Amino acid sequence: MESRRRVVITGVGCVTPLGATTGDVWDGLTAGRSGVGPLTLFDASSFAVRIAAEVRDWDLWDVGENPRRWQHCPRQTTFAIGAAYKAVRGSGIEQARVDPLKFGVYLGCGEAFEDFGNFTRSICGASRDGHYEPERFNETALRIFDPDSEQEYEPNMPASHLAALFDAHGPNANCIAACVSSAQAIGEATRIVRRGEADVMLAGGAHSLIHPFGLTGFERLSALSTRNSDPASAVRPFDKNRDGFVIGEGATIFILEELEHARRRNAEIWGELTGYGSSQDAYRITDSHPEGRGTSNAMRAALADARLNPDEIDYINAHGTGTLVNDKIETLAIKRVFGDDAYRVPISSTKCMLGHFTTACGAIDLAVGVMAIRHGVVPPTINYETPDPDCDLDYVPNFAREVPCDQVLSNSIGFGGQNAALVVSRYEPVGTPATQRRAA
Amino acid sequence: MTTGHYSQRRVVITGVGVVSPIGCTKDDFWQSLMEARSGIGALESASSGHSPGRCAGEVTQFRGHIDDFGDLDKAKKKAIRKALKLMNRETQMAVAATQHALGDSGLADDDVDPERSGVSYGAGYVSMMPQDFLDGIQSCTDSENEFDFSRWGSSGLEKMTPLWLLTCLPNMPACHISIYNDLRGPNNSITQREAAANQAVAEASHIIADGAADIMIAGATGTNILPLNMLHTVMEQEVADDAPDPTKLCRPFDRQRTGSVIGEAAATVILEDFDSAVGRGAHIYGEVVGSGSNCAAAGHHAEKRSDAIAHAIKAALESAATSADSVGHVHAHGLSGRLADIEEARAVRQVFGGKADTLPVVAAKSYTGNAGAGSGAVELVASLLALEHGNLFPVLNYEQPDPECPISPVTTTGVEAGSSFLNLSVVPQGQASCLLVRSVE
Repeated sequence: MESRRRVVITGVGCVTPLGATTGDVWDGLTAGRSGVGPLTLFDASSFAVRIAAEVRDWDLWDVGENPRRWQHCPRQTTFAIGAAYKAVRGSGIEQARVDPLKFGVYLGCGEAFEDFGNFTRSICGASRDGHYEPERFNETALRIFDPDSEQEYEPNMPASHLAALFDAHGPNANCIAACVSSAQAIGEATRIVRRGEADVMLAGGAHSLIHPFGLTGFERLSALSTRNSDPASAVRPFDKNRDGFVIGEGATIFILEELEHARRRNAEIWGELTGYGSSQDAYRITDSHPEGRGTSNAMRAALADARLNPDEIDYINAHGTGTLVNDKIETLAIKRVFGDDAYRVPISSTKCMLGHFTTACGAIDLAVGVMAIRHGVVPPTINYETPDPDCDLDYVPNFAREVPCDQVLSNSIGFGGQNAALVVSRYEPVGTPATQRRAA
Repeated sequence: MTTGHYSQRRVVITGVGVVSPIGCTKDDFWQSLMEARSGIGALESASSGHSPGRCAGEVTQFRGHIDDFGDLDKAKKKAIRKALKLMNRETQMAVAATQHALGDSGLADDDVDPERSGVSYGAGYVSMMPQDFLDGIQSCTDSENEFDFSRWGSSGLEKMTPLWLLTCLPNMPACHISIYNDLRGPNNSITQREAAANQAVAEASHIIADGAADIMIAGATGTNILPLNMLHTVMEQEVADDAPDPTKLCRPFDRQRTGSVIGEAAATVILEDFDSAVGRGAHIYGEVVGSGSNCAAAGHHAEKRSDAIAHAIKAALESAATSADSVGHVHAHGLSGRLADIEEARAVRQVFGGKADTLPVVAAKSYTGNAGAGSGAVELVASLLALEHGNLFPVLNYEQPDPECPISPVTTTGVEAGSSFLNLSVVPQGQASCLLVRSVE
């Protein structure tokens, strides 16, 4: 049997609250700068939560696209397009004459929510004397909703736009697995390249739930921080006084490419996607498994896929949302997998600075891992002031740290019990023990 | 033995379950197909906000009661009943279809290692239900019936049920299925509309072939009947919604077709590695031998969607290391759209050439309408049953061939199903998916 095809990262693009280049994002993260601020995308003054991590001062002109061409698209689609352009241009793939049928797209983009005003007006319009008449909803909505925008809310749209823009006519999919979506998309895209169904894949995700419906949903779940008076300090993963996450928004798109395909065109290689694991807690819709069963299973599966032992991991990019439950259970899960070695490995969560991109967080987290390898530095978990006995590992508190990184593990955990883990490795040509293990 | 992508471990289908407008048991479903009995009728559910879509393929039998979920052991029955109000319609149908499929597979608890069993399920855009917002909106509405957003955060929001968001997520079918059946392995939810089911089954099959799991639940659920789904459908495509006889509305490839019909449905298949299935004496419906997925998108050009379907078919054949000649029948997307059917027929003709004159084509949407993501899974089950029984079912309402659709829809019962089939799906944005399934000798 032939040895497994290797999948490398030859491009990465992002649009985030800390900037729209990997350089800007990395500078911000390593400086401990927060992208969390007052929520400005709609009037949230009546909400308990009035902070968010918004993409500011950015539009598609950044990549030479006229925003008017995409005016019907929700924010996240514009982020996906922007990030994809950056990844594609950075990779040089357009000059490479890739076979379009072997160039695919796999994203984890969330649904976009309806316009709140249109939705509520339609309900009011279908009501008579305070009595809602369901059979009139659609006829009312048809007068109010904009057909062009409606189509763009569906989750398959970003993947179709990217396919059209970049002549990527190969395998094409979108998945939504809550906060695990984009990690899963990257993992499945890796599998697609490994088995030869494609040679190049655009993979990643985009989402923006900074929206009345998003805020409504998460406030009702008591998942959000209400530290409105000091937004930059609101998200404090693993800290004893953490009180929830802050909704962020953004997109990250990778070029995943088969190694020989990349080498033949002298592509710059950012790292190698060596491990992917997916699992389910199979416990409760509303709660994570109390011992982190699913999270540890996903980590173990990713490590096994990468043919690595836990003690070979140099850095863990945690899911670390900053909720009481997530951070405690993720810590437990890391201990289950790493044993005592859990105390050695530096762990940090960048949600303290970027906010939580919901379906798109796995992709930005992987980008952080890629940059950690590139720069030999791990970003901090900021706002870490009071240790929590339930979270007693090394979370790289408050200051970035020089750590030579060859192997990085990235976790994602989602509502409903989803888990995914990715391993990204420093690219080495054949010869190192790890690559030999993977080739066996 | 193929040398294609599935050759590491062979993957077979050992159970099927379906919740559809023409039956919620495998036998009722097949009986309806054999009797050419349509499930399309006047829409009964008022909560859909119907108008103009006044006719639909509705699963009127499925009321979301615990009895709809099949034979369950006590613990599972209790768990599902308790969670019914947390599950939206699509999720309920998905769970029910899955419980039926698990029962059909004969898998005993001992046969299932939770850590080695997973779920890959397709779902569509999830409708927010206006009813969930009524109390909240009322508390922010003045006497002029004007909604005041500035009060939503302080007085409207708190009237929403705390778990509201969890009823709106497309991954909920896969999550609920995993929880009730203790499936801790790989888990994904594909949101590619009508193309989702084939992709979910293909992805699940690859997971088994790669050795990351031994059993996978795969399928899809969907609706074009719930308010926002219907809205999207009606805004995007021609919908055939009203006729003296609703059963005549959905007429794939027929010259008189006027548009798609909205529907709802879910279906599930149980996938296992071949050796384990044989080892436990499982009944095998067929083997997943090939798959393809493709996107040829560039706005609304007809040729591109045709290309996407053709490429997906070729990719599936290539992945199975087999030729077009080997295909026994085609289960078309068969939307009954004026342009969509032409595009699909063109693609089939492009790949099969002259063989398209005799290659049988079936289209379950003619019985059920378009259930979004759910339809691809229902179509898969229909063709699996056809393989099993050896014969096909007619495409309803195919009375006058359309010269622009030069393919061979089946018009009678008794046509041989052959020993393999291609299941085709495509979405308006040009994303297509294809699955190739073959009988096992």
